[in-house]
Amino acid sequence: MENSTTQESHLGSENFFTYDSPYPIYAMAFSPSPSSDKTHHIAVGSFLEEYNNKVDIVSFDDETLTFKSDPNLSFDHPYPPTKLMFNPTGAKSLRKSSELLASSGDYLRLWEVRENSIEPRSVFNNSKTSEFCAPLTSFDWNESEPRRIGTSSIDTTCTIWDIERGVVETQLIAHDKEVYDIAWGEAGVFASVSADGSVRIFDLRDKEHSTIIYESPQPDTPLLRLAWNRQDLRYMATILMDSNKVVILDIRSPTMPVAELERHLGSVNAIAWAPQSCRHICSAGDDTQALIWELPTVAGPSAGLDRNFVRLQNAAAEGLRSVDGLRWIAEVQPLVYMVLAYCTRGVTDTHLEVQK
Amino acid sequence: MDEVSTSKVDEPRLREPARGHISRLPWRPSRRAFGLYRPPAGALHKSSTFGVVVRKPLVARLTKDIVETYQICNPEFKFSEELNPKRFLTSPSIGVLNDGYDNANSDLILNVNFVLVNVESQQRYIVKDVLGQGTFGQVAKCWVSETNSYVAVKIIKNQPAYYQQALVEVSILTTLNRKYDPEDKNHIVRILDYFVFQRHLCISFELLGTNLYELIKMNQFRGLSLSIVQVFSKQILRALVLMKDAGIIHCDLKPENILLCTSVKPAEIKMIDFGSACMEDRTVYSYIQSRYYRSPEVVLGYQYTTAIDMWSFGCIVAELFLGLPLFPGASEFDLLRRMIEILGGQPPDHVLQGAKNTNKFFKRVGNAPQNDEACMGGRSAYQTLIEEEYEARESKKPLIGKEYFNHMKLEEIVVTYPYRRNLPEEEISKESHARLALIDFLRGLVEFDPAKRWSPLQASKHPFVTGEPFTCPYKPLPETPRMPVGQNIKVDHHPGGGHWFAAGLSPHVSGMNRGASQNSPHFQVAHYSHASSYGSLGSHGSYNDGAAFGSSYGSYGDGNSMHPYYSPVGPGLNIHAQGGVSILGASPDARRRNSHGNSLGVSPSTGNFIPMSLGASPSQFTPPSSHIQVTSGSPGKYGPTSPARSGGVHGSPLGKMAAASHYNRRNWGYQGSMQSQESASWQGYHTDTASCSHPEGSSRGHGGSSRSMQSSNLLSWRNQRGGNGVNSGYSSTIQNVSGSFGPSPNVPFAPVTETAYDKSESSLPDPGDWDPNYSDELLLHDDGSDTSSIASDLANGLRLSRGADSTVQMAGIGRFNRISNQAQTSTSLPIQRPNVQGYSHVEVGSPPSHDMYVGYGRKPPHLMPHLSSNSLSRFGQLPAQRLNQSTFVRVGDWNHQKVQPPPPNYSTGGPSPPSNSSFANGMNWGRGAMYILQVNRKGFKWGSPRRPYNPRLLDRSPCLGFAGLSGWTLVPISYRPIEVLD
Repeated sequence: MENSTTQESHLGSENFFTYDSPYPIYAMAFSPSPSSDKTHHIAVGSFLEEYNNKVDIVSFDDETLTFKSDPNLSFDHPYPPTKLMFNPTGAKSLRKSSELLASSGDYLRLWEVRENSIEPRSVFNNSKTSEFCAPLTSFDWNESEPRRIGTSSIDTTCTIWDIERGVVETQLIAHDKEVYDIAWGEAGVFASVSADGSVRIFDLRDKEHSTIIYESPQPDTPLLRLAWNRQDLRYMATILMDSNKVVILDIRSPTMPVAELERHLGSVNAIAWAPQSCRHICSAGDDTQALIWELPTVAGPSAGLDRNFVRLQNAAAEGLRSVDGLRWIAEVQPLVYMVLAYCTRGVTDTHLEVQK
Repeated sequence: MDEVSTSKVDEPRLREPARGHISRLPWRPSRRAFGLYRPPAGALHKSSTFGVVVRKPLVARLTKDIVETYQICNPEFKFSEELNPKRFLTSPSIGVLNDGYDNANSDLILNVNFVLVNVESQQRYIVKDVLGQGTFGQVAKCWVSETNSYVAVKIIKNQPAYYQQALVEVSILTTLNRKYDPEDKNHIVRILDYFVFQRHLCISFELLGTNLYELIKMNQFRGLSLSIVQVFSKQILRALVLMKDAGIIHCDLKPENILLCTSVKPAEIKMIDFGSACMEDRTVYSYIQSRYYRSPEVVLGYQYTTAIDMWSFGCIVAELFLGLPLFPGASEFDLLRRMIEILGGQPPDHVLQGAKNTNKFFKRVGNAPQNDEACMGGRSAYQTLIEEEYEARESKKPLIGKEYFNHMKLEEIVVTYPYRRNLPEEEISKESHARLALIDFLRGLVEFDPAKRWSPLQASKHPFVTGEPFTCPYKPLPETPRMPVGQNIKVDHHPGGGHWFAAGLSPHVSGMNRGASQNSPHFQVAHYSHASSYGSLGSHGSYNDGAAFGSSYGSYGDGNSMHPYYSPVGPGLNIHAQGGVSILGASPDARRRNSHGNSLGVSPSTGNFIPMSLGASPSQFTPPSSHIQVTSGSPGKYGPTSPARSGGVHGSPLGKMAAASHYNRRNWGYQGSMQSQESASWQGYHTDTASCSHPEGSSRGHGGSSRSMQSSNLLSWRNQRGGNGVNSGYSSTIQNVSGSFGPSPNVPFAPVTETAYDKSESSLPDPGDWDPNYSDELLLHDDGSDTSSIASDLANGLRLSRGADSTVQMAGIGRFNRISNQAQTSTSLPIQRPNVQGYSHVEVGSPPSHDMYVGYGRKPPHLMPHLSSNSLSRFGQLPAQRLNQSTFVRVGDWNHQKVQPPPPNYSTGGPSPPSNSSFANGMNWGRGAMYILQVNRKGFKWGSPRRPYNPRLLDRSPCLGFAGLSGWTLVPISYRPIEVLD
């Protein structure tokens, strides 16, 4: 058995690629398909405590395994973006040379990322007053119906936009308190989590009802993030505020989580299902760890899960850095792209890493 | 552990075929970037992992604290929770009433996080969800942050009838909780608070869990195990025992109204929804209980007691065991048919004879047996209608539901019910034995004859409940006639009085009852005894009762009382415009009856009446609750058991004793009459009904004797009442009126009244001695003396007007009436009790009283009733009587004509306050006090007190269906987000 530290450093040095951002980052997005020159776009959003924030598009070259940043591929964003996301269908539906990037913050915005520039495309504002604003905590772009973007807001609603027509398709009072995250399951089905502590599933064909899949054990413990397993829609994962647990839910058995993954030593900040595996989910948290969990093929007691996860080595090696953001995209075996945003609290030293 | 071994372990997994739609090879984390997880050496604590956590995770800063974060970014940033779209829990959610607070159904429009506030205590209830809706309003699940807990708040519709009825619930439940079950051991839901918010009465209860229907449903409608059934039965019985002690009938017992407690205790249940409940001596409605659980006497329109809850209980026990309702009648016809088939036999003849709906379901095939023995031993004089006959009579096909059980008899159904699978041999034999006990148990509960049906106490000693070995059919010990003296007294007053009042009659009622009895010689006797008893009571005690009642009625009065009063006149006169008239008009019988009535008046002989009652459609005319019947009709049977009044009462023990004895005597007297002329007495009853329509004038003339006159009058009253009751049952409009108003007012108001009394009259007994239901605790417990005194003052002011109102007003009008009353009221403060006493005096046969009658005789018939009872009461002996009488008369007229009260009345009253007061106040008290009370406590106002009463409002009075009042089923509402935007 090897010494762990040796192994970690060994692995770390070979397989991690770090991009140092000039400012703290929170939101990130991976372009779903490599652009023509075999580079991947990674959008990085700043977290600055000022009105003007930044979104940078960084390119990662598959061949040279290097980051490349272009000052032209950067734009100002009002407030720190709460989420960034490229059009999930890639550039196919649009002109080849450009792709769409969406951001959420005070409003939902669309940006067109071109070869050498970025143009704002539209702002989706559903507010009736200019004085007040209900910020968006998150959004999700519907993969199977790319016209649809669903946003979650602290005004307790979820809004479904038709971005092609630029109109609100529907707005639902989804929860009794602020809605913190939203995730599409299929074209007309989405789920959301809220400060009211519940995970609810909505079907746009029947807007009168929703299904509560889970409620946090203590009433009104907020659920911050939600990840729906696109490879196996029976499963979704959520995290509770100030909790080290990753709660895995099976929508067929509401209220009872199939597993509660408790290996983090600090609060969990981000979760992401593996894009190409139905059984793997990565979680990252304040304890600096990024853990990949493998769910048993047959859902069973969570006790069996312990042996089935691996830990992202480098994160642990970082020691003092908590992981605030996590994106996971793997296009081609054996390359694994995973973006982790690190933020050492109180310090502006932040970087982004690609795990390969 | 090393990687090699791990990978081996994982090998098979790698080769597994991909599941579902995943076509690619199973993915594995790269070994290059990821290492195997090793638990950190030593359990690291969150805080120890990295020194000091300076800041919250960014994810929290951009979710939970996003507003704060954005405000740091931009001080100009503003977010307002107020602007959040509201998720409405109430549908429709468009505010059209009550300044936009209420929707078209008069429901308060609730949205999530809506805050209900008890203005007085400043207690806040944050609405989180709606648990159910009913005709009464809504039930919301509310968060109370002070206690960190949820409660269920019933938010009553902003309509007087519902408001009043809900006050009854408050009153009854508070009594049950505080007085009878202070330790919370008897499985009755706890009431926590009540208040008025935006004109809606809100009642908060402890939040309970799922109901038994849902439980059965979750069990796929398979029965529960016998041990569970036993546990539940025992608990329900505890509640029923207590309720019987309190003289309270639930009136809507069903699995939906029995809820599991959420507390840790295993399988504990509680009874909820006393919104249809009533006092046993104040059974106002005839259309009560949910159909499957409706007792035969209610179906038949017979008088009812707490025994109807025992029937429902039997149905529930059977349903818990079977998983399906025992009598899932699709209609009342179907229901009765099922009862008869499953139980064998049919309701006893004495019930059929006295029930007003008998003709709807039965045909007469023989002469009425002379007594119970006869009908028991021999064939019944009644035969059930077959479907075709029913159709012919009702001109519509009866709805017939499908059959669930192949075996028609109860015994077979229970014995052959499938056993749970895999039950060991000995368990099967054990269970089969337990089933025999169950059958025996059920037989005592679903017993056609309410008099033979077991009481809760008797049932709770059954081996099925106690768990003792079941060896032979259970023979309950005869129920000790629980007749606290006070109760008896009450019986005296109430049986007639109570019911009448409930029905909207005024205190005269008691007089009425007697009058009724007078028809037959027996009654006379009874009458006398009565008088004596009163004498012994001496008064205050009795008086108080009367007063209390009066008040309660007063409340009724708004709606119902009117009818009764006038009704005598009404039918002919058309006072009621709505109810009375329509009813009468509708059935030709009524007319006939009138004539009969007269005849009756003339010749009290029973014989005459007999034919009438039978021939006529008694069902229609008899009062729904047939209170009268209770007293007079089958006193013997019910007397001992049912009388149970909530305990009551009267001031002096001596008085009680006397009353008790008196009561007994009276009963006997009745019985005697019953036996000898059973039919006669009943008929007499009916006759009464008939007489109703007719002006008393004729009767008087015939009668010659003042007493006979009285009786006729009384009868007429009853009739009227009956008419009302009928209406409620059958005709929609009428029903609405009487029904909605009638019930509610009684209870709630009573307390107030009492308070008022206390203040105004020091001599009165402690309110606590009165019927618990009326105890001021209910409404005033929180109030300082100030409030009560204010209430009393107000009440005083209001009394007169009230009285007037009661007569005049229709049900729907509630609010306005009161207002108008107030205006008028101011004049007369002191008063009312006289009614009670007064009539007692009358009965006693004080000469003046007779005179009175005579005098009245000349006057319009409708006035008569008032005179006899009211005027006589107090002053009967005094010369003042005359004055009183005149006063009354006027009042009566005024009422009828809806004219403003003539000053003379008041003036008269002025001189001899007692007399005046006696009349008007008796009833008024209650109402006035009530409203005022509300004003004081909750800052609630009905409207401008100066507003004149507007008769036209009658036309617009809300229609409240009886069905609505009785069918208070909570309909669970699934959570639904409401789309905000198009």
